[in-house]
Amino acid sequence: MYRGREGQWAFLLHRLSGLAILFYLMLHVFSIGSFIFGERFYMTIHETYDLVPFRIGLLFVTAGVVYHAFNGLRIIVMDFTGFGVAYQRQMWYGVMLLSVLAFIGSAIVVVPRILGGY
Amino acid sequence: MIRARTFTDARQQAHSNAELHWWIFMRISGLILMFLILGHVYMTFIQVSESDATFDAVVNKLANPAWKFYNWLILSLSLLHGANGARYSIEDYVRSRPNRAWVKGVFYTVIALLFAFGTVGLFSI
Repeated sequence: MYRGREGQWAFLLHRLSGLAILFYLMLHVFSIGSFIFGERFYMTIHETYDLVPFRIGLLFVTAGVVYHAFNGLRIIVMDFTGFGVAYQRQMWYGVMLLSVLAFIGSAIVVVPRILGGY
Repeated sequence: MIRARTFTDARQQAHSNAELHWWIFMRISGLILMFLILGHVYMTFIQVSESDATFDAVVNKLANPAWKFYNWLILSLSLLHGANGARYSIEDYVRSRPNRAWVKGVFYTVIALLFAFGTVGLFSI
């Protein structure tokens, strides 16, 4: 952790979203891969994941993935171009904007489905 | 390339070379994963409902070798990318050497088992 305005928050959020995505990935590989134990085992896990709290969690995972992906792009631009570091602050606000838009966009699509029970 | 006169020097250099390779790997795999995973999230969560991911749907989709390969690429790249990212965090926050050793050991074992589990699952259909 280092102190320095937006860069600090970008770093912290990148780590937290990365660890959260990894935790989700591990659950996801196990639950989807569990189809090798047969239909009953798979569907028992899957019906639990159909519940509202888990599906709202998926919205946050989506936003986290978008943030991690575009902030990673920002890191690559900083590492490999001459102008990257000079504009890292502006690029971070762009990354935040994209993440918020992705969250709102997927919520608009997904929330009616959750409320409708589908 | 390692140019060292003592074992200690060689180990230090090899260490930094491996670090450098992981550093490059994080950038390249991240760039590839961006397309693979944003596409995957869009196709399996935004485009269709969570309720559509039934047992039959998963088995049908994975019958196609192209989807098998797509998913296996995500599985292997994201587990390596995620494991290395978590290693950075472990090295930063687990301060004592013995604790770091067993935390890493347990963590790598879980990742390896998941990779084996996912690979067997993908190619058993």
